[in-house]
Amino acid sequence: MKFFVYRYNPDVDTAPHMQEYDVEVTRGMMLRDALMEIKRQDEAFAFRHSCGEGVCGSDAVNVNGANLLGCTTPVSELKEPVNVRPLPGRPVIRDLVVDMSQFYQQYRAVKPYLIHKDALPEQEILQSPEDRDKLDGLYECIMCGCCSTACPSFWWNPDKFHGPQALLQAWRFLADSRDQATEERLDALEGPYKLFRCHTIMNCVESCPKSLNPTKAIGKIKELMLRHSI
Amino acid sequence: MSRQASGLRAWALQRISAVYLGLYLIYMLGHLSFNAPESYEAWRAYVADPGVTFGMLLFATALLIHAWVGIRDVLIDYVHPIMARVGLLSLFAIGFIGCGLWFAKVVFLAGVAA
Repeated sequence: MKFFVYRYNPDVDTAPHMQEYDVEVTRGMMLRDALMEIKRQDEAFAFRHSCGEGVCGSDAVNVNGANLLGCTTPVSELKEPVNVRPLPGRPVIRDLVVDMSQFYQQYRAVKPYLIHKDALPEQEILQSPEDRDKLDGLYECIMCGCCSTACPSFWWNPDKFHGPQALLQAWRFLADSRDQATEERLDALEGPYKLFRCHTIMNCVESCPKSLNPTKAIGKIKELMLRHSI
Repeated sequence: MSRQASGLRAWALQRISAVYLGLYLIYMLGHLSFNAPESYEAWRAYVADPGVTFGMLLFATALLIHAWVGIRDVLIDYVHPIMARVGLLSLFAIGFIGCGLWFAKVVFLAGVAA
């Protein structure tokens, strides 16, 4: 199977280029396996990967124009030749390795942890099964970055717009019955940028390898904000 | 526009105006399909009706608000140099206000003449 892989080493290359590789496909081969085979052929090639089963979110790449996880994508599903590029819009460190600092900064900005103002109880803070159900489809995010780097609003304003990943997590804590910082969280999202750059393009929904729906979460935040302001 | 008004209020105004624009367009299409004024005088008489005048002015206002929020979104997304953005925003603001005044003039003049 023919692969064209984005190669760029800023220390040596003046410009990035696509390099061709031939990989012999084996039964059940995932894209990550193919990239590892390419790495065997060419040791200078760099890409991130770790768990190999769609849990760590390290090996998100852009393949034939779509963001996906290398470890959960069978090569048999890909159209040949396979064009493998780094996640779009992020500064390239080397080959498929990109700088995700801004993405993590946006995540940090939504305070992705429970804020409990009352005195903490002796035991755990109990939650009804119904309240727990509200977190389904939110907590599963593995922070691979497929969604935010597929979002045009994040491409234009990655320093100001939180992006779908961070906003999904913002809603994950707003929706949590144990969290007591709803007002502060909503106030922090005001203004034209952090939340309201989302134009419901829904690239995030299409690209999420865990089938989560950040657009829906963003809609819920807007709805809650509206309810709290009237 | 205050910092507080720039996110949620713009978003809410865009949606509320969209509802009115949608409803008005359905009404207008229905009216023009089944009960269209047949002559220039009939058009003037129709527009001069206070209910129609009010509805049309509200339509123009909703359209301009909707367009303003939309164009502001586009400029915030794509035009990053601050002076270029302010210049373009001013240009569109003046244009929109001009359109609104012209529309109001047309509607009111129809009322005066009728």
